[in-house]
Amino acid sequence: MAEEKKPEAPAAAPPKPPPGPPAPPPPKNPGMVTATIDGREVVAKPGTTVIEAAKALGIEIPYYCYHKRLSIAANCRMCLVEMSNAPGGKLMPACQMPISEGVAVKTETPRVKDQQRATLEFLLLNHPVDCAICDQAGECKLQDYYMKYDRQPSRLDVPKVTKGKRVVLGPMVVLDQERCILCTRCVRFMREIAKEPQLGVAERGNESFITTFPGQPLDSKYSGNVVDICPVGALTSADFRFRGRVWFMSAARSVCTGCARGCNTFLDYLNDTTYRYRPRENDAVNQEWMCDEGRVSYKYLNADRALLSREGRGAQAKVLAREVAVERAAAELAPHARAGSLAVLLSPLASLEDLLAAATVAKEALGVAEVFVGGRRDGWQDAFLKRADENPNRKGLELVAQALGLAVRPFGDLTAAVAAGKVRAVWAVGTEVPDPAAAAALEGAEVLVAQSYDDGPVARQATVLLAAAPHSESDGTFVNFEGRAQRFELAYFPRGDSRPHWLLASELGRALGLSYRFATARDVFVELGPRLGTALGDFRWDSLPSTRRRPGIVPLAAGTVDGRLPGYRDRVPPETSEDARRALARTT
Amino acid sequence: MPYPIENRPADLRERMYFPEIIRGIGVLTKHFLRNLFLTRDKNPDVLERRRGELWSDNATLQYPEERAPYPPGYRGLHRLVPREDGKPRCVACYMCATACPAQCIYIEAGEYPDDPIEKYPVKFVIDELRCIVCGFCVEACPKDAIRMDSGEHTPPSYERGAQIWDEKRLLRGPPISYQYDPWLRRGSPSIPADKLEEMRARAKPFPTVATDEYAQTPGFSVRALAQEAKERAARPK
Repeated sequence: MAEEKKPEAPAAAPPKPPPGPPAPPPPKNPGMVTATIDGREVVAKPGTTVIEAAKALGIEIPYYCYHKRLSIAANCRMCLVEMSNAPGGKLMPACQMPISEGVAVKTETPRVKDQQRATLEFLLLNHPVDCAICDQAGECKLQDYYMKYDRQPSRLDVPKVTKGKRVVLGPMVVLDQERCILCTRCVRFMREIAKEPQLGVAERGNESFITTFPGQPLDSKYSGNVVDICPVGALTSADFRFRGRVWFMSAARSVCTGCARGCNTFLDYLNDTTYRYRPRENDAVNQEWMCDEGRVSYKYLNADRALLSREGRGAQAKVLAREVAVERAAAELAPHARAGSLAVLLSPLASLEDLLAAATVAKEALGVAEVFVGGRRDGWQDAFLKRADENPNRKGLELVAQALGLAVRPFGDLTAAVAAGKVRAVWAVGTEVPDPAAAAALEGAEVLVAQSYDDGPVARQATVLLAAAPHSESDGTFVNFEGRAQRFELAYFPRGDSRPHWLLASELGRALGLSYRFATARDVFVELGPRLGTALGDFRWDSLPSTRRRPGIVPLAAGTVDGRLPGYRDRVPPETSEDARRALARTT
Repeated sequence: MPYPIENRPADLRERMYFPEIIRGIGVLTKHFLRNLFLTRDKNPDVLERRRGELWSDNATLQYPEERAPYPPGYRGLHRLVPREDGKPRCVACYMCATACPAQCIYIEAGEYPDDPIEKYPVKFVIDELRCIVCGFCVEACPKDAIRMDSGEHTPPSYERGAQIWDEKRLLRGPPISYQYDPWLRRGSPSIPADKLEEMRARAKPFPTVATDEYAQTPGFSVRALAQEAKERAARPK
């Protein structure tokens, strides 16, 4: 029958074109797409996804696998919404569907809500619910969405699928395959952003899991980012693992000091300990990524810090109050300044405010015409984020020296000058030097006034050591290698008797007869910043972008009897021994 | 027993002062003589003792040999509940420290290399001087790892430092295991196979409702105390 009929069709009268759908009305806003989401009109560029358009309206569509900087997988099914142009009235993934002219999107209907609940039940089916030992607890999207969209007990009555609980993927990342919801964000990140496809999905169905290729660890320099983008607790940081709970910690807007890129970070801290860096979004600098070296570069903020000022080298060392130590330093430096045998060593790790204050004191009170530059030695570089120069503020140092008319000379010249006996006194603002072995040459200087974060090779040779506070303990600015000035904020007050460089430098200046008096880093910038002229472009000191601030705990006002700080529920600082706390606890 | 106090102006005799002094000395002497010469009810159930009657008006407890029982609901000092292999049930999730309004709990987490639950408290310290014994930590614990079921006071000490209890002092009392505990479900290299079978057989189903049996250690039952008190009240005087 069918074969007979087929040839007949062309023989019949010329067919009319079938009545197609009516021509679509012309777009409401030419060049843009106009649609409605939950009855509210949204105008967006063509190609905008529904999820982004809804976000612009302030309507939240839940998602796990979607990430705006990664390709779209649409595999978590959490963002399904009703769209009027869906074929057969199906629910459509909002992360994948571009918004089109005249479409009505509904995100609040019972059908969508039921789908969200069902999706969550499915994702949680084999989830071990071990939030008690999970580092993601507190910032986990499974927890958040369960409380918001599901709130039902599990109906599973057979044993859950068990997989690897503690798979060490690489030096930075530990994987828990049971917690994974297989959104493949990490796989896509490694393929598309890090350009090192080291992760993949193995097996099928509910047995599938994320893994590396056999024999190849996840050793990319950017592997730490997969921990951040993992929406659940499957990928955890080997460095931060079990060290504390995220809800105790507060976050300060900061800048990574690992290299000259100056990736924007959140500095997570509790009391006066920094626990981790997390990348903060800045499209112009680091998007929202960080390298692994930068991630672990916070450690110098906590360990081996110099907390007390002292005078004398080696066995003659004597601890002094900061005010006294500053007076001594000024008294030791002044004769050498008059004799012209004084050199000033500035560190590109110090902030712009530190360097402004120090260079001003060096020029106006000590009368030097050149500064030597210390700083860490160069490291590796790649085309993505990491710069070879591992100092956050070398550009800032150059700008300051230029503005004040000081010549900049490398550290090698200083050791040569000390060895030759031309320089007999050194004022070091920051003791990071490219070659710790060459630092021994500084022992030849009669006077070494060092402002130092740590008790390193240079600080040990100081005749006067002034304990300095790093960027976690002060406000300030770093200028990155492109000349972009970036603010960071104080996380906690300086530890012990340490103070920021700018304060020590201005106190030293006052002891030497200058009249600068600064209460805050902002005062330094307001008073000395104009000398930089237009070098910083349209930078404004108060322009730190506001973010949703995450408050940690508020510790109780009174101290505890065992010498711990009030509310101090995390690790005891390493310098506090059990015996010391017992001794504090004794009443007699 | 509370009794009403009449708030009336003193009458003439009271304002004269000395008669009242003598009367007070009389009362004191009466009690002194009664305590010295008369008997006292030695019923071991101290709440059942007769008092206010002619020959035994003496309600004094010979503490510490005799002690008044605590009212039902008394919980006592907290303890860290051990598993049957002696390790703490605690997984260092910091829920108790989060809930604690006195901020008296200090935890430091560590990692077992081989246990099915990798996280455990390296340090778990409760400052008993700060603790207000509110029991929020017990409520907050998702693993039934901290309980206030010992029925004991904090023992007194001459040193403040001795009131800081660490995990070695806190980890005590009868062990608890539930059927769904990971070390029973998955086994653990630190538990031999035969012991594991025994532990599995002995494990309780996980309680969905807090009951007396699960909330209290044997030997100190709130229900038993409540029952006793009820019977005592019902008994004819």
